[in-house]
Amino acid sequence: MLFPTVQFAIFFPIVLALSWALMSRPALWKPFIIIASYVFYASASPVFCLLLAGVTLWNAGAAQLIHRSTDERTRAWICRVAVAGNLLNLGVFDYYTFFASAVAHALNALGLGMPLPLLTVALPVGISFYTFQAISYTVDVKRGLIAPARLIDTTLYLSFFPHLVAGPIVRAREFLPQLERPRDPNKVAVSSGLTLIGLGLIKKVVIADYLGRTIVDPVFGVPQAYHAPDVLLAGYAYAAQIYCDFSGYTDIAIGLALLMGFVFPKNFNSPYRATGFRDFWRRWHMTLSRFLRDYLYIPLGGNRGSRLFTYRNLMITMLLGGLWHGAAWTFVLWGGYHGFGLMLDHMFGDRIRLPTWLKRVIMFHLVVLGWVMFRAESLTLTWQFLSRLASWGAPTLWNWRVLAAIAAAIVPQLLPQQPMQALQDWLGRIRPVVLAPAVAVLILFIAATVPSDGVPPFIYFRF
Amino acid sequence: MTPTPPKRFHGQDNEMDRFDRAGLRRFTARDALIAVGIGVVVLILAAGNSIRKAGNEMRDGIGRDAVLAVGRPSASIAAALPVQHVAHVMTGWIKPNPLISGPGGFTATAATGVGQAIPPVTPDAFNPTAIGAPAPPRQKLHTLLVTGDSMSEPLDQDLAQILDPDGVNVIQDPHIGTGISTTVLVNWGQLAAYQVRHDHPNAIVIFIGANDGYSMPGPGGRQVNCCSVEWATIYAQRVRQMMNTYRQDGVARVYWLTLPTPRDPARAQISLVVNAAIKVAAEPWQDQIRVIDTVPVFTPDNRYRDSMPVNGEPTIVRESDGIHLNDAGSEVAAKLVLGFVDKDFTR
Repeated sequence: MLFPTVQFAIFFPIVLALSWALMSRPALWKPFIIIASYVFYASASPVFCLLLAGVTLWNAGAAQLIHRSTDERTRAWICRVAVAGNLLNLGVFDYYTFFASAVAHALNALGLGMPLPLLTVALPVGISFYTFQAISYTVDVKRGLIAPARLIDTTLYLSFFPHLVAGPIVRAREFLPQLERPRDPNKVAVSSGLTLIGLGLIKKVVIADYLGRTIVDPVFGVPQAYHAPDVLLAGYAYAAQIYCDFSGYTDIAIGLALLMGFVFPKNFNSPYRATGFRDFWRRWHMTLSRFLRDYLYIPLGGNRGSRLFTYRNLMITMLLGGLWHGAAWTFVLWGGYHGFGLMLDHMFGDRIRLPTWLKRVIMFHLVVLGWVMFRAESLTLTWQFLSRLASWGAPTLWNWRVLAAIAAAIVPQLLPQQPMQALQDWLGRIRPVVLAPAVAVLILFIAATVPSDGVPPFIYFRF
Repeated sequence: MTPTPPKRFHGQDNEMDRFDRAGLRRFTARDALIAVGIGVVVLILAAGNSIRKAGNEMRDGIGRDAVLAVGRPSASIAAALPVQHVAHVMTGWIKPNPLISGPGGFTATAATGVGQAIPPVTPDAFNPTAIGAPAPPRQKLHTLLVTGDSMSEPLDQDLAQILDPDGVNVIQDPHIGTGISTTVLVNWGQLAAYQVRHDHPNAIVIFIGANDGYSMPGPGGRQVNCCSVEWATIYAQRVRQMMNTYRQDGVARVYWLTLPTPRDPARAQISLVVNAAIKVAAEPWQDQIRVIDTVPVFTPDNRYRDSMPVNGEPTIVRESDGIHLNDAGSEVAAKLVLGFVDKDFTR
């Protein structure tokens, strides 16, 4: 079930009303939200609910065992096994086909047989997100940052539908405390929630999908059919599309959670304002960045060693971060590119003296270059796309709508942030009874921009 | 026991208190329900019919029933009040799709039999090369339209990548989620007529049918369910109508791909009928319509398989949904199509 669909528009008001009606009785509220979340998830495929339940039981069990054990070595081993189980599960569903194909091709080249059956494995929606949350829970119990939760709370944490399929990756220590007592019905950020939902829909449906179908898909599909101006425009357009698509989803998820009385962490902070690679990763998909930092980079040793050791850890983290986005060499290349960028940033970032605006312009273009690798369907197409930048010709896709959509996605990030935040806060203080009709009319206009094919899935649903 | 937290703990990176800091958690749950309620009322009044339409587009099941349970009364309420009309006028200018109207829509129901009448046979029914007759001279391929449902992706890109360097204008026009047996999203009869009017292709590649299986109106307006002979007849009639539109009185060539057998047995049954209907539909114009049978290539004997040998290497050719071709499979399909195209055209 996608957020911007009629099904969800029917589902959510019912769940919201019952959620607040039952909120004061956790014994009823918790099972109800779990059922609602599983219904939400089952609309993609009922079978995958079993997987979600399995991951929940696995991690809840591991957390209990860790908590009961007094021996630090035993605790570490249980944690390792639990994390390995999670990664194995993720690997089978996310990477089996990629891995089996690579092995088969390699062995076939040597004239050997195939050790693994070449099968396509259906990718359960959101598996990466809830697996990462499960890992954060188990590891945080092991680290003593949180106590193990009751099974019902763990189940609710991992399945809570606003963040289930595409994040943000909410840590257990951010979510579980919110379950300790019922949400206060007199402290709800209703207008902020409505504002975020409206903003998210505009980003996704009006900007991201429009740019996707008019510019990005045609040019990235057949780059050699276009010349430099159009190819360049497609690069910028994809930067705008992926930001609006993913941050739009996040805005809606955070907005829905707010209406239900919950707060999720921030996931984007004007990423195209970044002045360097480090700065970019503090602003882009922040919940993934901090997951990689806390559960991969720091356990690898982080920067507690020589420079070379730090660079190695950065590269490993970013390569795995790239691979997390999908089983394709383009993602590995993209991860490696960002790893290399982070290394250079660590080496020279503080020594380079340039005006901030120029740093932003340079970094933005470096990020766009990375997005080309990320978006292209193969390394060959990546190269074709980039090589077309040297082929000068007349622009055919430039028009005011496209430019306006790209500008609408990027310019607000470059403006001073205080007035933008003030505007958002002002909207958040408007009485909901006034704001709600305005948002509803806005949704009517947004819905009118949807083509007959409907709303395509969010880009990050695949990851 | 309470283990010591690790030294490196980044606790202040989530801004979980940002709404409290700005004083934004100032409303009540009641406000939330009223706000959402107002939104629901506005949407029902202004777009009630769209809710029912969305339900009609869905496949049978609980989800569809639930949406229609809301959509039907919503549509009635919206129809009784002027708000929907006003909203339509206000937002109509934003619609991204060109208005596909005019002739060509699926309206006629299929005949259930021809009785004693003998259908006429015309020379168009023969592919000259198939009977050893001299083939007509090959023409230059100017404009190739690649269309269909999601099956036509990424085939359209593959064909464009191959043909673009030869100066062929490849028009990619996929319509995701559509089907010939349902006219809710797109009426393919009208769409085919529009595509021909708008693009003037001299070759058309069409790959469609993955979403089909909807009941269709039959004689007397009653609904005919998949997958009886009667359903296949109506489906073939619609396909034939589209083929006739695309062939443009014999000026253009049409390359219609059958569906490779899907993994799901229920879907496999539908694709069997769809493929049979495509073959029947093409019979009057075998001179101009090439049915490209993908079944022997991808799923011999209608047996689903994820992988097959490609250039001597075992290769996965299907997507994980067990329906679509993946990039490798699509490349195989593109080569298959070009084998047919190159017999009719130069490039």
